Amino acid sequence: MSQTRKELLIDPLVDNNPITLQVLGICSALAVTSSLNVAFVMSLAVIAVCGFSSLFISFLRHYIPNSIRIIVQMVIIASLVILVDQIIKAYAYEISKTLSVFVGLIITNCIVMGRAEAFAMKNKPFESFVDGVGNGLGYSLLLMSVGVIRELFGSGSLFGVMIFEPVSNGGWYVPNGLLLLPPSAFFIIGFIIWGVRTWKKSQVEAREYKIQTLEEH
Amino acid sequence: MSKHNNILTKFKNMPVDGMTKTLIVAITLCLVCSMVVSFAAVNLKEVQEANKSIDKQKNILQVAGLYYEGIDVKKSFSSFEPIVVDLNQGTFTNRFDPLTFDDRKAAQDPELSISLKEDPASIGRRTNFATVYLLKKEDGSLDKIILPIHGYGLWSTLYGFIALEKNGNDIFGLQFYQHAETPGLGAEVDNPKWKAQWKGKKLNNGNGELMITVAKTKKYKEHHIDALAGATLTSNGVDNLVKFWMGEAGFKKFLKNLQNGAA
Amino acid sequence: MSLRNYFHSLEPHFEKGGKYEKYYPLFEMVETIFFTSNTVTKVAPHARSFVDMKRVMTYVVISTIPCILWALYNTGLQTNSVLATMSVEAQSGWRITLLQLTGLGIDPDSLISNVFHGLLYFLPIYLTTLIAGGICEVTFATIRGHEVNEGFLVSSMLFALTLPASTPLWQVALGIAFGVVVGKEVFGGTGKNFLNPALTGRAFLYFAYPAYMSGDSIWTPVDGYSGATSLGIAAAEGYESLSNYGITWADAFLGTIQGSLGETSTLACAIGLVFLLLTKIANYRMVIGCLLGMIIFSSFLNWVGSDTNPMFSMPWYWHLVIGSYAFGLVFMVTEPVSGSHTNLGRYIYGALIGFMVVMIRVLNPAFPEGMMLAILFGNIFAPLIDHFVVMANIKRRAKFNVQTQ
Repeated sequence: MSQTRKELLIDPLVDNNPITLQVLGICSALAVTSSLNVAFVMSLAVIAVCGFSSLFISFLRHYIPNSIRIIVQMVIIASLVILVDQIIKAYAYEISKTLSVFVGLIITNCIVMGRAEAFAMKNKPFESFVDGVGNGLGYSLLLMSVGVIRELFGSGSLFGVMIFEPVSNGGWYVPNGLLLLPPSAFFIIGFIIWGVRTWKKSQVEAREYKIQTLEEH
Repeated sequence: MSKHNNILTKFKNMPVDGMTKTLIVAITLCLVCSMVVSFAAVNLKEVQEANKSIDKQKNILQVAGLYYEGIDVKKSFSSFEPIVVDLNQGTFTNRFDPLTFDDRKAAQDPELSISLKEDPASIGRRTNFATVYLLKKEDGSLDKIILPIHGYGLWSTLYGFIALEKNGNDIFGLQFYQHAETPGLGAEVDNPKWKAQWKGKKLNNGNGELMITVAKTKKYKEHHIDALAGATLTSNGVDNLVKFWMGEAGFKKFLKNLQNGAA
Repeated sequence: MSLRNYFHSLEPHFEKGGKYEKYYPLFEMVETIFFTSNTVTKVAPHARSFVDMKRVMTYVVISTIPCILWALYNTGLQTNSVLATMSVEAQSGWRITLLQLTGLGIDPDSLISNVFHGLLYFLPIYLTTLIAGGICEVTFATIRGHEVNEGFLVSSMLFALTLPASTPLWQVALGIAFGVVVGKEVFGGTGKNFLNPALTGRAFLYFAYPAYMSGDSIWTPVDGYSGATSLGIAAAEGYESLSNYGITWADAFLGTIQGSLGETSTLACAIGLVFLLLTKIANYRMVIGCLLGMIIFSSFLNWVGSDTNPMFSMPWYWHLVIGSYAFGLVFMVTEPVSGSHTNLGRYIYGALIGFMVVMIRVLNPAFPEGMMLAILFGNIFAPLIDHFVVMANIKRRAKFNVQTQ
């Protein structure tokens, strides 16, 4: 085992974050982050699916024929996602209305598939579970950060609790409507990646090309 | 026991990529997963259905001004009487069970709906039967009438309820529970300040003509609702849909009958 | 000691190895305000043309002067005209107090009163733009070690001119900061931006604070006054009914109508365009492309016609004079960095914008004005257009070679 269990859990938070470093799972991060309640439930769903799918796939890793490997992984992930979707519909109905198809789309979330294929197929169940949860947490960390910015500045509230009283209710804060639109998450994720890479220089990718100056001719 | 062990060992010793093992794994996995999924779906269905109806009841309570945080929705809703209305006749009908009748589904059914030639609310088809909710006082007399309305705004169809006083002319409130209008502009239909304007406004004038208008310029004081700033098309949409549903093609006949006791 | 010598004596401290090496961009910025730059820029955009960038940018700023003057006059005119119809008690605010103190008063017929009142609206917006945008610009220049260049003067001027007079100053600051950082600096600074920074900032405000950037009550900065823009009227009732509001084509051409600060006058923009074309700063191909795209597509829509959408019947010469079409055409479409760089590509780029602006104005119910979005759309497609033009050229040449061999 090259990494300890603790490292498996902590590493994906910043140093190897699935969104900021690998830029995976962006689609749902755009769609569900305009309110923290929703982002929180989505985070729990992804942690659960990512953790348990890695666990089950790791249990079965010696029995999974290579030819149908991806399909088997998909079936396990899909079943877990449907299970989570049903549970959310039953116990968090309000939020499930906003989440709508995005819980279902966890199936296609590259993070889940990526961990199953890259880690769980080669490692022991418990380590795989920790790794899955770690990556789910990394995803959640970013989702919640984006959610805090979007809800606080977009609607003036956090978890639905009013922090900045908006002008339309007689307060002082003018909500930034752009933050309620999905594209704003692009900007925010971009800024976060910028920040992280300024902090952790090792994450900066090599330049693909360099613009020449006249002197170099 | 030993036989069981034999099968397992035999299975384990099979080549992983062999045809037999692939098939066995695939079939077993599919069976197990489908069982888990269907087990969850069946068991949770009841809770989900209950959620759905509570959600709808909550919206109705909200438009009637009875909703507050932590309320027992089911209990409060018992003072409402759901009932299906035949829009063409303007009368109550017993053809459907109001608890299970689905207006939206009916609007898609050619037998239960009509295709609109004049369609200001841009809804395409209108159901012939709609579920309305009558709020009764404790002594059983009519208090408020809640009518379902919907129509196209700028980006989306707005679904909502309008609550009328028992005279069928004074508006008590308006509430949309589903739409996807622009945040900050069209989505201000949810703004409590804007919604508060509706209270006390009158649908028709003394001659029974439909006067209620959502507009920028103030023409008729007691029929006027200010348009949303910067959201002309959403405001027009609301104007159109309210006019449509409160007009001859909507609930007007029913409201008249209700006042005459002919419903 | 003359100023020049003073700068020379300071310079060593800021050069490589000097005490304040880090702050060289700041020094350079201040010095070049007074004197011509000692060094010539080495990188894009002007590496493509051999014209000094400082001259390019200065010429663009000069070309906006007619628009600025008109902005001052018209903003004052619109505000004064509305105020004149109101009771004296309703007229309040520091601008009005100042006008009355100076004895100019609120008089829509007085040129000086109008210009002065307009100035009181334009100046705070422009200064805020300069300060907020300048801080971002200098911060990046200091960290990245590049020069603060005149491109910013152009962006800030254009940005200020595209705003409605009633824009709150904190929004002005936020908008230009977004424009400078996201529209330009994150891509490496002037010359490397693929979007027009001024428009990026404007678009940010448009989507972030739609209630302050669209609607009827923002164009003339008088509390409680509400009046639709000519585009708004045309979209709701058809361009023919503009005359009911006292707006003739000549009014729209001259610019005595409501709108963003500097965008109302097609005439002022046209003067700027002539200057830019004569000095060869603006490429005529983009202008022709954009005009043709707009004229052909709007004429096509005139021919198609529609019973429900009055915008279909609006002729091209109305499209030309209302909204921000003319301003965008002159100052944004012709911007060399974010547009196409091949000659054929410039025609296509212009035509794409002309087509999109009519498309958005006429067919999109949500946005009455489409110039800003059309230009940003064009910006994004410009590299792609260039790519295909270059590839087509290579293919053609290759074919030619095969034939001659």
